[in-house]
Amino acid sequence: MEKKVDIVIKFAGLKLANPVFLASGTCGYADEMADFTDLNSLGGFITKSITLKPRKGNPNPRIIETDSGMLNAIGLANIGLERFIKEKLPILKKMRPAIFVNVAGEIIKDYTEVIGTLSTEKAIAGFELNISCPNVKMGSICFGTEPAVVEEVTAAAKKASGKKILMVKLTPSVTDVSTIARAAIDGGADALSLINTFTAMVIDIETARPALANRTGGLSGPAIKPIAVYLVNKVFREVAQKANIPILGLGGIRTASDAIEFILAGATAVAVGTANFSDPNCAEKITGGIREYCVRKKIRNLKELVGSVK
Amino acid sequence: MKKKINKGLFSAKVRGNINTGRCFYRIEMELAGVPAKVFAQAQPGQFAQIDLSTTALPPQDSIAHKLRDSSGRNIILRRPFSFANVQSKGDKTIIQILYCTVGPASLRMTTLKTGDTVNLIGPLGNGFVIPEGKKIALLAAGGMGSPPVQFLANRLVKKNPEIKVVLFAGAKSKNEFPSEPEKFTSHKIETIITTNDGSFGLKGLVTEQLEKWIEANEPKEQQLIIYACGPEAMLARVAEIANSERIDCQISLERRMACGFSVCQGCAVECKVGSSEETIYKMCCADGPVFDSREIVF
Repeated sequence: MEKKVDIVIKFAGLKLANPVFLASGTCGYADEMADFTDLNSLGGFITKSITLKPRKGNPNPRIIETDSGMLNAIGLANIGLERFIKEKLPILKKMRPAIFVNVAGEIIKDYTEVIGTLSTEKAIAGFELNISCPNVKMGSICFGTEPAVVEEVTAAAKKASGKKILMVKLTPSVTDVSTIARAAIDGGADALSLINTFTAMVIDIETARPALANRTGGLSGPAIKPIAVYLVNKVFREVAQKANIPILGLGGIRTASDAIEFILAGATAVAVGTANFSDPNCAEKITGGIREYCVRKKIRNLKELVGSVK
Repeated sequence: MKKKINKGLFSAKVRGNINTGRCFYRIEMELAGVPAKVFAQAQPGQFAQIDLSTTALPPQDSIAHKLRDSSGRNIILRRPFSFANVQSKGDKTIIQILYCTVGPASLRMTTLKTGDTVNLIGPLGNGFVIPEGKKIALLAAGGMGSPPVQFLANRLVKKNPEIKVVLFAGAKSKNEFPSEPEKFTSHKIETIITTNDGSFGLKGLVTEQLEKWIEANEPKEQQLIIYACGPEAMLARVAEIANSERIDCQISLERRMACGFSVCQGCAVECKVGSSEETIYKMCCADGPVFDSREIVF
C-alpha cells in the first residue's frame, strides 16, 4: 500500500493543507473563480491588490499576449478598502485556505491604514505587501527598489499588522534582489513572495506604437519561469535560509513540475498566477501532481524538498 | 442549497469546421450532459473562451502570407468568440461560431476537425436583452461583428414575433461578410446591405442607412430599440444616433481578454457614471460585452 504523503506545510507559522496559492491579481476576490474550481482545495489565496481608496486603473489596452507570456498594465484597479470589507470579506470568511490580502499604496500611511483596519479580521491570515507593482507611478518614491525604503515601509506595515503574517512581494526589476530581500527581512517581514512581473514592452509594428496604453507592462507567464526559479534560489541561498524566512515562489507556474522546481529552488509554497486565466482549475491539478511526485520520490514530508536542489 | 450552474469549464465535440470564403470559417461544436444544459441557456451577445493553445497549426504554405511571420508564436491565453447560434437538440446543445483568421490562435482553430475535443469556458458575459413594449428592433451588424447580431435576429424572429426586425448589415466589400446577410435567418426579414466600395448592396455605411431608415419611418422612440455589433467607429456612430434620438440602444463591444471572467481586469471599457463627468472602467467580459449606448465613452 502507498504510504500516506504529507503535503501539509508550515508557512510562517501557519499550517496549510498544501503549498499551492492563487497569486494576487489573477483570481479576483475569490467569488469570480468559484464557478470553475473548488477554492477549498487551495493552500492559500491572495486577493487582488487593495488600496485605501478605490482605483480606476489604466486605460485600454491593458493587456497583450507575448510569446509564452503576457503583459499587463491594469494599474491596480480595485474597489478600495471600504467596499472590500463590505462586499468581499464576507465571501472570503467562508473559505478554508489561508487568506492573504494584497495591499498597495502610494505613501506609507496608505499601507498602514489598510493593514491596520484589516489587522483584527479573523478571516485574514496575513498581508502581502505590494511594493513592486510595475504599472503605477508612486510619486518620486519607488518603494520596491530602494533598500532603505523597503525596510521602512515593511517596518511600518509590520507594526500595523499586529499578529497577522506580513509577506513582502519583491520586484525582479532591480540589480540585486537579495539586497531588497534582506531589507524586507530587516524591516520585519515574516515571509517573502517572489517574483512579481518584469517591466516589459511590446510594440505594434503596424502603428509603431506601444501595444499597451501605459507603454510598458508587467511580463508574466511561462516566459519568466526560469528567471523566477533562479531568483528564488538566489534569495533562498543568500538571505532567506539563514534568516529562516519562508518564500512563496511564483512566476510562470502552470504545471506541477513547474511548482516542484520552485520548491527545490527554495520556495516553501508556490502561487499560480497567469495560468489561472486559461485554466482556472489548474491549481487543483498542480496540487495533485505535487502529491504524485512525492509518492514517486518517496518523500514523506514536503519540507524535505524545500531548497534541496543539489 | 446548491448553486445553479450558469457557466463552467467544459469540453465540446467539433461537428464541423468549414471555410466559408476568404479568411472566414464556421465551426459547430456539440455539448452533452450538464454542459449542454448550461449552454442551452446561452443568449445572443454572450461568448465562450476557447483554448487553442495545443491545437495544431495549418501547414506553413497554406497560411496567408501576412499571417505567416508570427504564426509560430506560442499562445497561452484563450480566445473569446461570440455565438452565431445556439440550438438544443434533445439532450445535446450545438453552438455555432463564425470566425476569421487574424493571428496564430485563429489560424490554429482552422485545423480542428469533426470529432475533435475542444475545451471551452462559458457562456460568459451578458447578452442582449429585450425590454418590454418594443415593437421595432433595428439590428446593425458591421463586418466581423455580425455573428451575435445574426443570433439575435434568429431569436427575435422565433421568440418575439410581435417585434418587427430590420437588419442593417455592412462590410468593406462583398467578400468581407462572415456569412451571407440574406441568410441571417431562415425567416424573411427586411435586410439592408451596405458595402464601403459598393461591390454589394448599397454603397456606403450601415450607419447612414440606419439613420435614413429612422428619418423615413419616424417610429415612436419608446417602441424602438437598436442593437449593434461591429467596428468601434461604427458603434460610436450608432450610439450617437441612438442617444440623440433618445432611442434605447444596446451595443456589443470587443476587447482583448486574458480570462473572460473578470479576474484579469484586462478588458476595460470606459463608462460614464450617471450624468456626471466622472468615468469608470467596466469589464467587457463581465459587465458587458453588451452595454447601454448611453454609458459607453467612445
